[in-house]
Amino acid sequence: MMSKISRTMELQDINYNKLDYVETASGNKVCRQTVLCGSQNIILQGKVIVQAEAIIRGDLANVKTGRYCIISKEAVLRPPYKKFSKGVAFFPLSIGDHVFIGERTLINAAQIGNYVHIGKNCVIGRRCILRDCCVIEDNTILAPETVVPPFSRYGGAPGVPVGDLPECQPDLMIDYTRSYYQHFQPTKLI
Amino acid sequence: MSYITGPDVVKYACTCGLLKPIPQLYFCKHCLQIRCRFCVCHEVDSIFCGKCSENIPSAEARVKKNRCANCFICPSCQQELSTRIASKGPANPDDAKSPIKKTYYLSCYFCRWSSRDVGIPDQPSATGGWPERENVHINRLQEVLDTYKQIMHSEKQQKESDKRKQRGKFVSYTDKTGVTASALRKRIGLPDIPHAMLKKPKPPEPAVAKAEVDELPESIFTEPIKLMEVTTIEQRLMQPECQPLTVDKLFPVHKQLSIKQSLRCRTCEHNVSKPEYNPNSVKFKIQLLAYCYIPEVRFVTVEPLRAGQTVELIIKFTNPTQYQTTITILDLDLDEQAQYVEEQKLIDLTQNLEQALSLQEKQPMSLPSLPYSSGSQPSSLLSLPRLPSVIVKPRKIFTETNCDVAIPESSFILPPRDDAAEYDDSSEVHNFEDDPKLIKWRKSNKAFVKLAVTPRADLKLGDEVVCGFTMQHIYTNVLPPAVENKQPQKYDHKVRVFLTLGKVVGSE
Amino acid sequence: MARNSFKIFPGALVCEESKLRGDITVGAGTIIHPSASIIAEAGPIIIGENCLIEEQAKIIHRLPFDQQNKDNTPVLIIGSHNVFEVDCTIEAPKIGNNNVFESKCFVGNKVTVSNGCTIGAGCRITDEQILKENISIFGSKCQIRESIDKPVPQILQMETLMKILPNYHHIRKPNKKH
Repeated sequence: MMSKISRTMELQDINYNKLDYVETASGNKVCRQTVLCGSQNIILQGKVIVQAEAIIRGDLANVKTGRYCIISKEAVLRPPYKKFSKGVAFFPLSIGDHVFIGERTLINAAQIGNYVHIGKNCVIGRRCILRDCCVIEDNTILAPETVVPPFSRYGGAPGVPVGDLPECQPDLMIDYTRSYYQHFQPTKLI
Repeated sequence: MSYITGPDVVKYACTCGLLKPIPQLYFCKHCLQIRCRFCVCHEVDSIFCGKCSENIPSAEARVKKNRCANCFICPSCQQELSTRIASKGPANPDDAKSPIKKTYYLSCYFCRWSSRDVGIPDQPSATGGWPERENVHINRLQEVLDTYKQIMHSEKQQKESDKRKQRGKFVSYTDKTGVTASALRKRIGLPDIPHAMLKKPKPPEPAVAKAEVDELPESIFTEPIKLMEVTTIEQRLMQPECQPLTVDKLFPVHKQLSIKQSLRCRTCEHNVSKPEYNPNSVKFKIQLLAYCYIPEVRFVTVEPLRAGQTVELIIKFTNPTQYQTTITILDLDLDEQAQYVEEQKLIDLTQNLEQALSLQEKQPMSLPSLPYSSGSQPSSLLSLPRLPSVIVKPRKIFTETNCDVAIPESSFILPPRDDAAEYDDSSEVHNFEDDPKLIKWRKSNKAFVKLAVTPRADLKLGDEVVCGFTMQHIYTNVLPPAVENKQPQKYDHKVRVFLTLGKVVGSE
Repeated sequence: MARNSFKIFPGALVCEESKLRGDITVGAGTIIHPSASIIAEAGPIIIGENCLIEEQAKIIHRLPFDQQNKDNTPVLIIGSHNVFEVDCTIEAPKIGNNNVFESKCFVGNKVTVSNGCTIGAGCRITDEQILKENISIFGSKCQIRESIDKPVPQILQMETLMKILPNYHHIRKPNKKH
């Protein structure tokens, strides 16, 4: 998918089987083949796409995503735990607006800001904080409790800063997530 | 998206002649020119720690050698260290009710390194008091540093005294400054006694090169090497002052600070980008990005490319501004750009000449009787108003295009961006008289445009096809108008756009 | 493949949505999250006490190619207090106690894991070897370092999970007595 996007620049339609997805009143499109544990604790703010076999562990703690988030296939959203002297508590996982999460990526972060792009096959370690406007490249492993500052690009294992982002990154992410949502359409029956 | 992950298919030519994707370009409203990161002036706006997100004043950062006082990174794997509480019994083991005494140690969650591994004692407070290691070379470094500081100081003094000399057209010999005294001495032929502050500092003892080094210890040849105890190159280079050889000498390293930059146009000295002070903010006080002012061109699709055959290319234009614009596609005309480069060179040359002339005129006038010692700079140079930092000279665009674009006869209109359009699903009605040969489809501020392109006949299989054209658009300037009730000014702005279309495929 | 037969000791918490295949014994206090898979392909798997197996973790008992088609069926014994994090793939023929397999790591079927090892996130270990005690492997180059102590056991986290998980998931009933 990624290579296709980069080659053509303008997104092509991404089609799905209408029967596989549930569309809510607020425009969330959630695949039926996902594992949403503790769904009463999961808040999707609207126009969020959750693709096949993604796992959201709302049973451990609340999970909240902003608008226009894309949670790709087999991604795992898992609230992090924190140890105290008297025991362990799971903490809510909050994700901002216009966030893309790639395929097979594990999110164990405490907080993900707005306009964040996370590639595929990444591990975002326990209680990481990803500030607004950052990019995590494909196959990155972020150590637990890493803080990723705005406008930085992280890559590698362990994840280290590999570059900067242009000032218009918020606009790019808004444009990307919006057009992804617009192009994510059910296959038309002939 | 390709801006975030993929290769850059569409590139814009910066005024300086470099090709960049549009998110990396700036648009100076004052010069009405495109600028890239190479032709703007970079300034450090604020210094902060990426881990604790705290702003650090530049003076403090300098003292701390641009490192955060509280955050550490792991000497083993360079990840951020976390402070952990060591479970310790009550302060007084006999009294069960006495408060629990907590101690802290540093630990890496990635490679399991901990401050206990190297024998750093646990600390009673969470925020520091971590022992700092003495640098064995600190005396030598200090000596060298001091010398350079002195040199800097004396140069500054010299400059200041030169400035003083320069003031006024006539040198007053009764002026109670050391300068006049010195000048007077020179006049009457006495050797000049340099001012105490102007004395050349004593250079530190130079380092001596040695050919003889200690013999390697016997154990190196006899004992098997334990890889787990030897540090890696990365680990050594992270601590250049001590370069530990074995892992038991790895001590936590203070985290390097980050900066926020503001960018300034070198020609007009206006800011093109100035971030907010808060380290977590992604907002800007000034943000003159090309992405927000110049129509964006995106590659949509092209028919299979064959040498010498005309194919249809579809590209998308987006108007990012709040004003309607008209886009005209023109010939690339690289000669015009080359001419511009030459003109700039000429202007530069004449300016230099004028400057040189004015220098010559000024010099004898300002200081008629003072001969210069060979070492000091001509003071008139210092008196010139500080010039903006070096202006980058434009260069020719070197990209070869190997594909002809048929220039459409008509231009087209792009309506302004409408943020509310996202929530409005009703079909829009446009009253633009579009040339159906040019416009394929349009929606709000976007238009899909058809162009006929012909890869050159001499291209071989697998050659990358690059085409280019000049996009002329109407830029509406919204700078605060000088005269009230003045209409926003409109300018024709031209930008050269290059597209990498893909590779030549075989014939049918 | 062997018929499915699960022995679950009291005190173990095995979510029904987990994928179990073959002959599997789960020790007391062990937690298996939903969507975890344990596949006993070559022979039985015995999981010790207080292990934590998270979602998408795959424990596969699969023999190296040259050892297949032998008469004896080897048993994969996994010790106690091991943690298998999200999306790890473990094919090791023997696993000791107190090991941590971090997210997305891969341990091949020629690697014997002793005690107190940490296999870092994303690390791939496939060459035939026995991992020494208390080592941690990390980074893209699978750098190894020796720790002075074994990883902290996740007892506190598991206590919390024991309370939370039954509220949201169907749990397989223990069918074995002490």
